[in-house]
Amino acid sequence: MTSNTAPRSQQCLRSASKGSQPVRQFGSSPPKAYKTVQEQRSRYRSGPFSWKAGLLFLSSGAALIFYFRYEKARMERKRVAEAAKGVGRPKVGGPFRLLDQYGKEFTDGDMKGRYSLVYFGFSHCPDICPEELDKMAQMIDLVNASPLLSASSSLPPLLPLFITCDPARDTPGVLQTYLSEFHPAIIGLTGTWEQIKDICKKYRVYFSTPEGVQKGQDYLVDHSIYFYLMDPEGDFVEAIGRQHSPEDAAKIILAHVGDWKR
Amino acid sequence: MGLFSSSPASPPPPKISSDGAPIAPDRTQRAKCWESRDAYFGCLDRNNIVDSITEKDKAEKACSVEGRGFESNCASSWVTYFKKRRVMEYQRNKTLERLKAEGAQEMPGQIGPPGPGQRP
Repeated sequence: MTSNTAPRSQQCLRSASKGSQPVRQFGSSPPKAYKTVQEQRSRYRSGPFSWKAGLLFLSSGAALIFYFRYEKARMERKRVAEAAKGVGRPKVGGPFRLLDQYGKEFTDGDMKGRYSLVYFGFSHCPDICPEELDKMAQMIDLVNASPLLSASSSLPPLLPLFITCDPARDTPGVLQTYLSEFHPAIIGLTGTWEQIKDICKKYRVYFSTPEGVQKGQDYLVDHSIYFYLMDPEGDFVEAIGRQHSPEDAAKIILAHVGDWKR
Repeated sequence: MGLFSSSPASPPPPKISSDGAPIAPDRTQRAKCWESRDAYFGCLDRNNIVDSITEKDKAEKACSVEGRGFESNCASSWVTYFKKRRVMEYQRNKTLERLKAEGAQEMPGQIGPPGPGQRP
Protein backbone atom coordinates (compact mmCIF):
# COMPACT_ATOMS: atom_id res chain seq x y z
CA MET A 1 0.00 0.00 0.00
CA THR A 2 2.74 2.41 0.93
CA SER A 3 4.55 1.87 -2.30
CA ASN A 4 1.32 2.41 -4.06
CA THR A 5 0.70 5.92 -2.80
CA ALA A 6 3.17 7.73 -4.99
CA PRO A 7 1.90 6.76 -8.43
CA ARG A 8 -1.70 6.69 -7.30
CA SER A 9 -2.92 9.14 -9.80
CA GLN A 10 -1.25 7.23 -12.53
CA GLN A 11 -2.92 4.03 -11.46
CA CYS A 12 -6.21 5.75 -11.16
CA LEU A 13 -5.93 7.06 -14.65
CA ARG A 14 -5.11 3.66 -16.00
CA SER A 15 -7.94 2.02 -14.20
CA ALA A 16 -10.29 4.79 -15.20
CA SER A 17 -9.70 3.95 -18.77
CA LYS A 18 -10.42 0.30 -18.17
CA GLY A 19 -13.39 0.64 -15.85
CA SER A 20 -12.73 1.84 -12.34
CA GLN A 21 -15.13 -0.14 -10.18
CA PRO A 22 -12.80 -2.80 -8.65
CA VAL A 23 -10.00 -0.33 -7.97
CA ARG A 24 -12.31 2.07 -6.26
CA GLN A 25 -13.39 -0.59 -3.85
CA PHE A 26 -9.84 -1.22 -2.66
CA GLY A 27 -8.40 2.23 -3.10
CA SER A 28 -7.49 4.05 0.11
CA SER A 29 -8.32 7.51 -1.13
CA PRO A 30 -11.96 8.55 -1.32
CA PRO A 31 -13.45 8.66 -4.82
CA LYS A 32 -13.99 12.40 -4.46
CA ALA A 33 -10.27 13.07 -4.63
CA TYR A 34 -10.07 11.16 -7.89
CA LYS A 35 -12.92 13.15 -9.25
CA THR A 36 -11.25 16.39 -8.32
CA VAL A 37 -8.09 15.41 -10.10
CA GLN A 38 -10.08 14.54 -13.17
CA GLU A 39 -11.93 17.79 -12.95
CA GLN A 40 -8.75 19.67 -12.40
CA ARG A 41 -7.13 18.02 -15.34
CA SER A 42 -10.02 18.83 -17.61
CA ARG A 43 -10.12 22.29 -16.19
CA TYR A 44 -6.43 22.61 -16.91
CA ARG A 45 -6.90 21.35 -20.44
CA SER A 46 -9.88 23.52 -21.38
CA GLY A 47 -8.96 26.63 -19.42
CA PRO A 48 -11.74 28.72 -17.93
CA PHE A 49 -14.28 27.61 -20.55
CA SER A 50 -17.18 25.28 -20.06
CA TRP A 51 -19.72 24.19 -22.62
CA LYS A 52 -22.22 26.56 -21.05
CA ALA A 53 -19.93 29.51 -21.51
CA GLY A 54 -19.26 28.40 -25.04
CA LEU A 55 -22.93 28.12 -25.83
CA LEU A 56 -23.64 31.52 -24.35
CA PHE A 57 -20.79 33.01 -26.33
CA LEU A 58 -21.94 31.44 -29.59
CA SER A 59 -25.61 32.30 -29.16
CA SER A 60 -24.95 35.90 -28.22
CA GLY A 61 -22.54 36.16 -31.12
CA ALA A 62 -25.10 34.73 -33.51
CA ALA A 63 -27.76 37.07 -32.16
CA LEU A 64 -25.47 40.04 -32.65
CA ILE A 65 -24.61 39.00 -36.20
CA PHE A 66 -28.27 38.54 -37.00
CA TYR A 67 -29.16 41.92 -35.55
CA PHE A 68 -26.27 43.58 -37.33
CA ARG A 69 -27.28 42.07 -40.68
CA TYR A 70 -30.88 43.10 -40.17
CA GLU A 71 -29.90 46.66 -39.34
CA LYS A 72 -27.49 46.76 -42.25
CA ALA A 73 -30.20 45.61 -44.69
CA ARG A 74 -32.61 48.15 -43.23
CA MET A 75 -30.10 50.96 -43.53
CA GLU A 76 -29.33 49.91 -47.09
CA ARG A 77 -33.02 50.03 -48.04
CA LYS A 78 -33.32 53.36 -46.31
CA ARG A 79 -30.32 54.62 -48.23
CA VAL A 80 -31.83 53.44 -51.53
CA ALA A 81 -35.15 55.04 -50.69
CA GLU A 82 -33.58 58.26 -49.41
CA ALA A 83 -31.19 58.55 -52.32
CA ALA A 84 -34.15 58.44 -54.66
CA LYS A 85 -35.90 61.19 -52.75
CA GLY A 86 -34.68 64.34 -54.35
CA VAL A 87 -34.68 67.63 -52.59
CA GLY A 88 -37.74 69.39 -53.89
CA ARG A 89 -38.51 67.89 -57.27
CA PRO A 90 -38.32 64.10 -57.40
CA LYS A 91 -35.75 62.69 -59.76
CA VAL A 92 -38.05 60.01 -61.14
CA GLY A 93 -41.75 60.47 -61.57
CA GLY A 94 -43.79 63.65 -61.41
CA PRO A 95 -47.14 65.11 -62.21
CA PHE A 96 -49.11 63.73 -65.13
CA ARG A 97 -52.63 63.62 -66.47
CA LEU A 98 -53.61 60.57 -68.48
CA LEU A 99 -56.62 58.36 -69.27
CA ASP A 100 -57.15 54.93 -67.75
CA GLN A 101 -58.48 51.93 -69.67
CA TYR A 102 -62.07 52.94 -68.86
CA GLY A 103 -61.58 56.37 -70.36
CA LYS A 104 -61.50 58.10 -66.98
CA GLU A 105 -58.90 60.69 -66.10
CA PHE A 106 -56.02 59.48 -63.93
CA THR A 107 -53.41 61.79 -62.46
CA ASP A 108 -50.37 61.51 -60.21
CA GLY A 109 -52.69 62.54 -57.36
CA ASP A 110 -54.43 59.17 -57.65
CA MET A 111 -51.13 57.49 -56.77
CA LYS A 112 -50.83 59.23 -53.40
CA GLY A 113 -51.41 57.37 -50.16
CA ARG A 114 -50.34 53.95 -51.38
CA TYR A 115 -47.37 52.19 -52.84
CA SER A 116 -47.57 51.84 -56.60
CA LEU A 117 -45.71 49.76 -59.12
CA VAL A 118 -45.27 51.42 -62.49
CA TYR A 119 -44.45 49.58 -65.69
CA PHE A 120 -44.01 50.99 -69.17
CA GLY A 121 -44.81 48.87 -72.20
CA PHE A 122 -47.12 48.48 -75.15
CA SER A 123 -49.76 45.96 -76.06
CA HIS A 124 -48.25 44.93 -79.40
CA CYS A 125 -45.10 43.83 -77.62
CA PRO A 126 -43.81 40.46 -78.87
CA ASP A 127 -42.55 38.69 -75.79
CA ILE A 128 -41.00 40.70 -72.98
CA CYS A 129 -43.98 42.83 -71.93
CA PRO A 130 -46.39 39.88 -71.65
CA GLU A 131 -43.81 37.97 -69.62
CA GLU A 132 -43.22 40.95 -67.39
CA LEU A 133 -46.94 41.56 -66.97
CA ASP A 134 -47.44 37.96 -65.90
CA LYS A 135 -44.68 38.51 -63.37
CA MET A 136 -46.36 41.73 -62.29
CA ALA A 137 -49.62 39.86 -61.68
CA GLN A 138 -47.78 37.41 -59.43
CA MET A 139 -46.06 40.27 -57.62
CA ILE A 140 -49.38 42.00 -56.99
CA ASP A 141 -50.88 38.89 -55.43
CA LEU A 142 -47.77 38.14 -53.37
CA VAL A 143 -47.50 41.69 -52.07
CA ASN A 144 -51.18 42.14 -51.34
CA ALA A 145 -51.33 38.80 -49.52
CA SER A 146 -48.88 40.16 -46.95
CA PRO A 147 -50.28 41.17 -43.55
CA LEU A 148 -48.40 44.44 -43.98
CA LEU A 149 -50.96 45.58 -46.50
CA SER A 150 -54.07 43.54 -45.85
CA ALA A 151 -54.27 43.71 -42.06
CA SER A 152 -53.08 47.21 -41.30
CA SER A 153 -55.53 49.63 -42.77
CA SER A 154 -52.94 52.41 -42.81
CA LEU A 155 -51.72 51.35 -46.25
CA PRO A 156 -54.12 50.27 -49.00
CA PRO A 157 -53.11 47.51 -51.44
CA LEU A 158 -50.40 48.04 -54.03
CA LEU A 159 -51.48 50.05 -57.05
CA PRO A 160 -50.17 48.52 -60.29
CA LEU A 161 -49.91 50.85 -63.28
CA PHE A 162 -49.21 49.99 -66.89
CA ILE A 163 -48.32 53.07 -68.91
CA THR A 164 -48.23 52.60 -72.65
CA CYS A 165 -45.35 53.85 -74.77
CA ASP A 166 -47.45 53.43 -77.86
CA PRO A 167 -50.42 55.78 -77.49
CA ALA A 168 -51.33 55.66 -81.18
CA ARG A 169 -52.34 52.01 -81.01
CA ASP A 170 -53.05 51.62 -77.29
CA THR A 171 -56.39 53.36 -76.84
CA PRO A 172 -58.30 52.84 -73.58
CA GLY A 173 -60.37 50.12 -75.28
CA VAL A 174 -57.28 48.23 -76.44
CA LEU A 175 -55.70 48.45 -73.00
CA GLN A 176 -58.88 47.25 -71.34
CA THR A 177 -58.97 44.08 -73.42
CA TYR A 178 -55.23 43.56 -73.20
CA LEU A 179 -54.82 44.03 -69.45
CA SER A 180 -57.86 41.95 -68.52
CA GLU A 181 -55.77 38.92 -69.43
CA PHE A 182 -53.19 39.67 -66.78
CA HIS A 183 -54.63 41.05 -63.54
CA PRO A 184 -57.86 42.89 -62.77
CA ALA A 185 -56.05 45.37 -60.52
CA ILE A 186 -53.71 46.72 -63.19
CA ILE A 187 -54.63 50.22 -64.33
CA GLY A 188 -53.65 50.93 -67.92
CA LEU A 189 -52.81 54.52 -68.81
CA THR A 190 -52.67 56.18 -72.17
CA GLY A 191 -52.79 59.68 -73.57
CA THR A 192 -51.65 61.79 -76.47
CA TRP A 193 -48.20 61.34 -77.98
CA GLU A 194 -47.00 64.50 -76.17
CA GLN A 195 -48.42 63.38 -72.83
CA ILE A 196 -46.76 59.98 -73.10
CA LYS A 197 -43.48 61.48 -74.20
CA ASP A 198 -43.65 63.78 -71.18
CA ILE A 199 -44.29 61.02 -68.64
CA CYS A 200 -41.60 58.83 -70.19
CA LYS A 201 -39.18 61.69 -69.73
CA LYS A 202 -40.24 62.13 -66.11
CA TYR A 203 -39.72 58.44 -65.40
CA ARG A 204 -36.46 58.42 -67.36
CA VAL A 205 -37.88 55.90 -69.78
CA TYR A 206 -36.31 55.60 -73.19
CA PHE A 207 -38.99 56.62 -75.65
CA SER A 208 -38.68 55.95 -79.35
CA THR A 209 -42.26 55.85 -80.53
CA PRO A 210 -42.61 57.59 -83.89
CA GLU A 211 -45.03 60.48 -84.02
CA GLY A 212 -48.05 60.41 -86.26
CA VAL A 213 -48.20 56.70 -87.10
CA GLN A 214 -51.28 55.41 -88.83
CA LYS A 215 -53.75 53.13 -87.10
CA GLY A 216 -53.17 49.50 -87.94
CA GLN A 217 -49.55 50.08 -88.83
CA ASP A 218 -47.17 47.32 -87.81
CA TYR A 219 -44.14 48.49 -85.84
CA LEU A 220 -42.33 47.92 -82.57
CA VAL A 221 -41.39 50.35 -79.83
CA ASP A 222 -38.16 50.49 -77.88
CA HIS A 223 -38.57 51.15 -74.22
CA SER A 224 -36.95 50.56 -70.86
CA ILE A 225 -38.14 47.52 -68.97
CA TYR A 226 -38.11 48.25 -65.28
CA PHE A 227 -40.75 48.21 -62.61
CA TYR A 228 -40.73 51.46 -60.68
CA LEU A 229 -41.74 51.24 -57.06
CA MET A 230 -43.22 54.56 -55.93
CA ASP A 231 -43.95 55.36 -52.28
CA PRO A 232 -47.23 56.77 -50.89
CA GLU A 233 -45.92 60.30 -51.41
CA GLY A 234 -45.39 59.60 -55.09
CA ASP A 235 -41.61 59.50 -54.79
CA PHE A 236 -39.49 56.93 -56.53
CA VAL A 237 -38.15 54.20 -54.25
CA GLU A 238 -36.45 51.53 -56.30
CA ALA A 239 -36.35 50.04 -59.78
CA ILE A 240 -36.94 46.32 -60.14
CA GLY A 241 -35.39 44.74 -63.20
CA ARG A 242 -35.96 41.64 -65.24
CA GLN A 243 -33.46 39.60 -63.27
CA HIS A 244 -35.73 39.54 -60.23
CA SER A 245 -38.21 36.72 -59.88
CA PRO A 246 -41.72 37.69 -58.75
CA GLU A 247 -40.86 36.34 -55.30
CA ASP A 248 -37.68 38.42 -55.07
CA ALA A 249 -39.52 41.48 -56.30
CA ALA A 250 -42.33 40.97 -53.78
CA LYS A 251 -39.73 40.66 -51.04
CA ILE A 252 -38.08 43.92 -52.09
CA ILE A 253 -41.41 45.72 -52.25
CA LEU A 254 -42.60 44.38 -48.89
CA ALA A 255 -39.31 45.30 -47.25
CA HIS A 256 -39.88 48.91 -48.32
CA VAL A 257 -43.52 48.77 -47.30
CA GLY A 258 -42.45 47.51 -43.87
CA ASP A 259 -40.12 50.48 -43.50
CA TRP A 260 -42.92 52.94 -44.17
CA LYS A 261 -43.77 54.89 -41.01
CA ARG A 262 -45.60 58.11 -41.46
CA MET B 1 -40.02 28.57 -102.66
CA GLY B 2 -42.02 27.86 -105.73
CA LEU B 3 -44.54 29.82 -107.67
CA PHE B 4 -47.29 29.11 -105.22
CA SER B 5 -45.55 30.40 -102.14
CA SER B 6 -45.79 33.99 -103.21
CA SER B 7 -49.14 34.47 -101.48
CA PRO B 8 -48.41 36.73 -98.50
CA ALA B 9 -48.57 34.86 -95.21
CA SER B 10 -49.83 37.03 -92.40
CA PRO B 11 -51.93 36.59 -89.29
CA PRO B 12 -55.68 37.16 -89.49
CA PRO B 13 -56.74 40.80 -89.14
CA PRO B 14 -56.99 41.92 -85.50
CA LYS B 15 -60.23 42.42 -83.65
CA ILE B 16 -61.35 45.96 -83.18
CA SER B 17 -61.72 47.38 -79.67
CA SER B 18 -64.74 49.30 -78.39
CA ASP B 19 -63.11 52.59 -79.39
CA GLY B 20 -62.26 51.48 -82.90
CA ALA B 21 -58.60 50.58 -82.57
CA PRO B 22 -57.17 47.18 -83.51
CA ILE B 23 -56.52 45.01 -80.46
CA ALA B 24 -53.10 43.49 -79.91
CA PRO B 25 -52.72 39.71 -80.12
CA ASP B 26 -54.16 38.03 -77.05
CA ARG B 27 -52.65 35.27 -74.96
CA THR B 28 -53.64 32.40 -77.24
CA GLN B 29 -52.48 34.24 -80.35
CA ARG B 30 -49.18 35.00 -78.68
CA ALA B 31 -48.76 31.38 -77.65
CA LYS B 32 -49.49 30.29 -81.22
CA CYS B 33 -46.96 32.75 -82.56
CA TRP B 34 -44.27 31.62 -80.12
CA GLU B 35 -44.98 27.99 -80.91
CA SER B 36 -44.59 28.46 -84.64
CA ARG B 37 -41.50 30.56 -83.99
CA ASP B 38 -39.95 27.74 -81.98
CA ALA B 39 -40.81 25.28 -84.75
CA TYR B 40 -39.14 27.53 -87.31
CA PHE B 41 -36.05 28.09 -85.17
CA GLY B 42 -35.88 24.34 -84.51
CA CYS B 43 -35.72 23.80 -88.24
CA LEU B 44 -33.03 26.48 -88.59
CA ASP B 45 -31.06 24.76 -85.83
CA ARG B 46 -31.26 21.45 -87.65
CA ASN B 47 -29.95 23.10 -90.79
CA ASN B 48 -27.24 25.11 -89.04
CA ILE B 49 -28.68 28.45 -89.99
CA VAL B 50 -28.32 31.23 -87.44
CA ASP B 51 -29.27 34.36 -89.30
CA SER B 52 -32.36 33.71 -91.40
CA ILE B 53 -32.32 37.29 -92.69
CA THR B 54 -28.87 37.28 -94.32
CA GLU B 55 -29.17 33.60 -95.25
CA LYS B 56 -32.65 34.10 -96.57
CA ASP B 57 -32.40 31.80 -99.58
CA LYS B 58 -30.91 28.94 -97.62
CA ALA B 59 -33.52 29.32 -94.90
CA GLU B 60 -36.32 29.41 -97.42
CA LYS B 61 -35.09 26.26 -99.10
CA ALA B 62 -34.69 24.33 -95.87
CA CYS B 63 -37.55 25.59 -93.74
CA SER B 64 -40.23 26.92 -96.06
CA VAL B 65 -43.11 25.17 -94.31
CA GLU B 66 -42.08 26.26 -90.83
CA GLY B 67 -41.29 29.73 -92.13
CA ARG B 68 -44.76 30.06 -93.61
CA GLY B 69 -46.28 28.90 -90.32
CA PHE B 70 -44.19 31.45 -88.45
CA GLU B 71 -45.23 34.28 -90.72
CA SER B 72 -48.88 33.36 -90.69
CA ASN B 73 -49.05 33.31 -86.90
CA CYS B 74 -47.01 36.39 -86.05
CA ALA B 75 -47.15 40.01 -87.14
CA SER B 76 -44.33 40.83 -89.55
CA SER B 77 -42.68 43.19 -87.07
CA TRP B 78 -42.59 40.35 -84.57
CA VAL B 79 -41.09 37.99 -87.16
CA THR B 80 -38.25 40.40 -87.85
CA TYR B 81 -37.77 41.04 -84.16
CA PHE B 82 -37.54 37.35 -83.29
CA LYS B 83 -35.17 36.65 -86.17
CA LYS B 84 -32.86 39.47 -85.07
CA ARG B 85 -33.09 38.41 -81.47
CA ARG B 86 -32.06 34.90 -82.39
CA VAL B 87 -28.88 36.22 -83.98
CA MET B 88 -28.21 38.47 -81.00
CA GLU B 89 -28.65 35.64 -78.54
CA TYR B 90 -26.43 33.38 -80.59
CA GLN B 91 -23.68 35.97 -80.59
CA ARG B 92 -24.10 36.60 -76.88
CA ASN B 93 -23.79 32.90 -76.10
CA LYS B 94 -20.75 32.63 -78.33
CA THR B 95 -19.12 35.57 -76.59
CA LEU B 96 -19.81 34.02 -73.21
CA GLU B 97 -18.37 30.71 -74.37
CA ARG B 98 -15.30 32.42 -75.73
CA LEU B 99 -14.78 34.31 -72.50
CA LYS B 100 -15.14 31.11 -70.53
CA ALA B 101 -12.62 29.38 -72.78
CA GLU B 102 -10.23 32.25 -72.18
CA GLY B 103 -10.57 31.60 -68.48
CA ALA B 104 -12.87 34.43 -67.52
CA GLN B 105 -14.46 33.90 -64.17
CA GLU B 106 -18.18 34.13 -63.84
CA MET B 107 -19.16 36.70 -61.29
CA PRO B 108 -21.72 35.77 -58.69
CA GLY B 109 -25.20 37.05 -59.34
CA GLN B 110 -26.91 37.80 -62.58
CA ILE B 111 -25.95 39.94 -65.45
CA GLY B 112 -28.01 43.09 -65.11
CA PRO B 113 -31.14 43.66 -67.09
CA PRO B 114 -30.77 44.82 -70.65
CA GLY B 115 -30.17 48.53 -70.65
CA PRO B 116 -32.54 51.16 -71.94
CA GLY B 117 -33.19 50.82 -75.61
CA GLN B 118 -33.40 47.08 -75.38
CA ARG B 119 -36.24 45.94 -77.53
CA PRO B 120 -39.11 44.58 -75.50
